Amino acid sequence: MNRQISLLQSIVLGFLGLACFLGFWQGMSMSGLVSNIFLPSPLEVYERFTTLIERRFAGATLPGHLAASFMRFAYGFLLAALIGIPLGLLMGWYQLLDEIVSPLFDALRFVAPIAWVPFAALWFGTGIGGPIMIIFAGAFPPCVINAYRGAKFVDPRLIEAANMLGTPSRRVIMEVLLPSSIPSIISGLRVSAGLGWQSLVGAELIVASAGVGYMMVQGQANIQTHTVMAGMVAIGLVGLALDSALRGVERVIQKRRGLEQ
Amino acid sequence: MGVIQFKDVGKIFGPRDKGFVALKDIDLEIRDKEFMAIVGPSGCGKTTCLRMVAGFEDATDGTVSVDGTPIKRPGPDRAVVFQQFALFPWKSVYDNIDLGLRNLNVSSSERKKRIEAILNLMNLTQYAKHFPHQLSGGMQQRVAIARAYVLDPDVLLMDEPFGALDAQTRVVMQEELVRLARKNPRTVLFITHAVEEAVYLADRVAIMTRAPGQIKEVLDVASVRNAENWDSHEKIEDVMDLESFVHLRTHIWRSLREEKAAQHA
Amino acid sequence: MATTVLGLIPSGRFPSPAETWSALVHVSGRGYGGGDLALHVYNSLRLVVMGFLFAIATGVPLGLLMGWSRRAEAFINPIFLIIRPIPPLAWIPLAILWLGLGDAAKIMVIWFSAFVPSVINTFAGVRNIDRPVLEAAYMLGMPKIRFVTEVLIPGASPMIFTGLRLSLQASWTTLVAAELVGAFYGIGRVLNVAQQDLYPGMILVGMVTVAILGWGTTRVLGLAEARALRWNTAALAAKG
Repeated sequence: MNRQISLLQSIVLGFLGLACFLGFWQGMSMSGLVSNIFLPSPLEVYERFTTLIERRFAGATLPGHLAASFMRFAYGFLLAALIGIPLGLLMGWYQLLDEIVSPLFDALRFVAPIAWVPFAALWFGTGIGGPIMIIFAGAFPPCVINAYRGAKFVDPRLIEAANMLGTPSRRVIMEVLLPSSIPSIISGLRVSAGLGWQSLVGAELIVASAGVGYMMVQGQANIQTHTVMAGMVAIGLVGLALDSALRGVERVIQKRRGLEQ
Repeated sequence: MGVIQFKDVGKIFGPRDKGFVALKDIDLEIRDKEFMAIVGPSGCGKTTCLRMVAGFEDATDGTVSVDGTPIKRPGPDRAVVFQQFALFPWKSVYDNIDLGLRNLNVSSSERKKRIEAILNLMNLTQYAKHFPHQLSGGMQQRVAIARAYVLDPDVLLMDEPFGALDAQTRVVMQEELVRLARKNPRTVLFITHAVEEAVYLADRVAIMTRAPGQIKEVLDVASVRNAENWDSHEKIEDVMDLESFVHLRTHIWRSLREEKAAQHA
Repeated sequence: MATTVLGLIPSGRFPSPAETWSALVHVSGRGYGGGDLALHVYNSLRLVVMGFLFAIATGVPLGLLMGWSRRAEAFINPIFLIIRPIPPLAWIPLAILWLGLGDAAKIMVIWFSAFVPSVINTFAGVRNIDRPVLEAAYMLGMPKIRFVTEVLIPGASPMIFTGLRLSLQASWTTLVAAELVGAFYGIGRVLNVAQQDLYPGMILVGMVTVAILGWGTTRVLGLAEARALRWNTAALAAKG
C-alpha cells in the first residue's frame, strides 16, 4: 500500500536520487567511455557557467545574452497579455464577438508557434521583430483562452445578485465580472509565460543574433558542449524563476479568495 | 466464523502527545453472525472503529482482532460497503462483482453462477452490462452490496452505506438489507448516525460518546424484536409504529442527547 | 489579403491564395527541398510517431510508478525538477552535438519534450483516483499485476490520455523546430529552404501541412481515447 512517508524520508530519498543522478553523470564523463568533449562533467558545466558570467562568448556574457533574451520575451509577453486578455474578456461577455473571432482563433491556435519562424525570418530578418512575433504566437492563446473562460463562466448567481441590487452595467463589469475573472486570468498568465519563454528559445535557435538560444547554437557549432549545457541551465533557471513568481501571485490571489485547496 | 474483538483499543491521529484522540478504551465483542450497529454523534470515531476492522487504520493502543487473529491488512474476508459506493467506474456491474471472485481463484463457471444468483437477489439482472454512472445511487449501492456479499465473507463491514441516498431509496434499501440479513446471516458491523435505521436492522446497538469516543452503552434489540415479532411486518413503517420500537429508539435518542448537551457545554 | 492592408507586414511577403496553390503544386509534383511532398510528409510523420511512442512507453510507466509509490516519487522528483524547466527545444543543440543532423537526434529531442507531459499527467491521474475506490480494491485483495492493469491504469486513464494529447502536441512542435534547425528531409526542411528562398507560398504550404498532420494524428489519438474511456461520461461531458 502506498502509505504516506515522512518529510524526513522524502528529503533523504530526494538527496539520494539527486546524488545518484549527478554521480552517474560525473562517473560517465570521467570514465572515458564518452569523450569529455561530448559529455562534460557536472563540475565542468558549473565552471563554464561561472566563467561565462564574466567572459564574453558569441558577442556577450551570459547575463548579457540572458538580458537580450528576457527583453524580447518581455515585449512579446506583454503584447500578448495586453491584447489577449481584453480580447478574451470581451469574447466571453459578448456572444457576437465570440462568434466572429472564435473560428479564426481556433484555426490559428493549432499552429505551433515555432511554425511561424519561417515567416518571422522572412518578414523581420534577424531583427527583434522575429522572436517577438514567435513569443507572441506562443503566449497569446493561453491569455485569450483563460480570460475567455474566466469571463464566460462567471457564476450566474453573482450576476443575478448584482442585477437584483440594481447595479448599472458598467459597474457590473468593473466590480463583478472583472474581479471574478482574475483567478483564471492569472492562471492563464502563468501558462502563457511558460509557453512564451519556451517559444523564445526555439526562435532564438534559428533567427537571432543575440540571446541565450543564439549563444547555444554558436556553442554547438564550435563543439563547446559545456557552453551549450550552461545555456540550458541558465534558460531553465530563468524559466523556473518566472514560474515561481507567477505561482506566488496565483497563490496570493487564491488565498484572498479562499479558493485554495 | 466471524467474531470481532476490540480489546482496550485506542486511536490517536498524529503524534502521541498532541494528536487527536479519536478513540479511548474501546472494549467490544461482536459475536458470530451478529448484526451490530454503532450509533453516535459526528466525529465520535465510529467510522474509525470500522476502518480498523477493515484494515485501513491501525490501532494505536490495544488490539482489534477477528477470530483471535489481530488485523494486519484489508482483505475479502472482511468485505466493506462504502458510503460513496466506491465502484470501479471503468468496469460494468458484472465485472465489478466479478473482480473479487477472480481474486479468490474461483472457477469461471462457479463465478458465473454466483454472480447471476446475487444479481437476481438484488434485482440487478438487467443491469449487468451497465456502467456505474448509468445507475442511480440506490442501484450503485446495491451493486456495492452485491460485490461484498458475493465473496461470502465472514465479516461484512458497512460504513453509513445509505448515507448518500435520498430518503425514499434509503427505506427500500433498509427493507432489502433486512431480508438479506435474515436469510443469509453473517457477522455485520454497521455504522450509522440514523437511530431508527440502527434499531430496525441490528441485533445489538452500541452507543458511542463524542470524541474521544468510548462505548457508552450496548442495547440488546434482538430480544425485543423476537419477543414482539417485528419480522412479521413486511413494511418498515409498520415496524416503526410499534411501541417497543419507539421505546428503544427514544432511549437511544435520549442517550445521544445527553451527549449532545455535554458537547455544547 | 487583409493583412497586407494592415501594413504591418511588407506587402508582397504574404502569399496570396494563387501563390500558395502554385507552391502546393510545385512541391507535390516536381518536389522541393530534396523531395516531393509525400516524401517529406512520410519522414516527418515517421519521426513523430517513433518519438511519441518511445516517449509514452517510458513516460507512462514512470508516471505510474511515481504516482503509486511515494518513495519513488521522493527519489525521482529532484531530478525531474531540474530537467523540467529546460524547454524541450533547448535540447536541440545538445542533440545535434551528440547525434548529428540525422534521425536519431530528432527522435531524442522529441522524446525529451513528449516525455515530460506523459509523466506528469499519468502521475496526476494516479493521485486523482478516488480514495474509496482504491480502498475497495485493497479490500478485494489481488495480485499486484492485476491491481496495476485493472485498477491503477484504468483509474488514471482519463488523465493519462490528457498527457498523451500534450505529448503528441509537443512531439510535433519539437519535430518542426528540429527540422528547421537542420534536416535532410521533412516538412521543417521545406519550411527552412522556402524561407531562405524567399518563397512565401511554400512557407504557407508547409505550415498548413503541419497543421493538418497535427490535427490528423490528434484525431487518431482521440479515437483511441473514446474507445478506452467509454465508461467515463463525466470527462466526455466536460469536454463538450
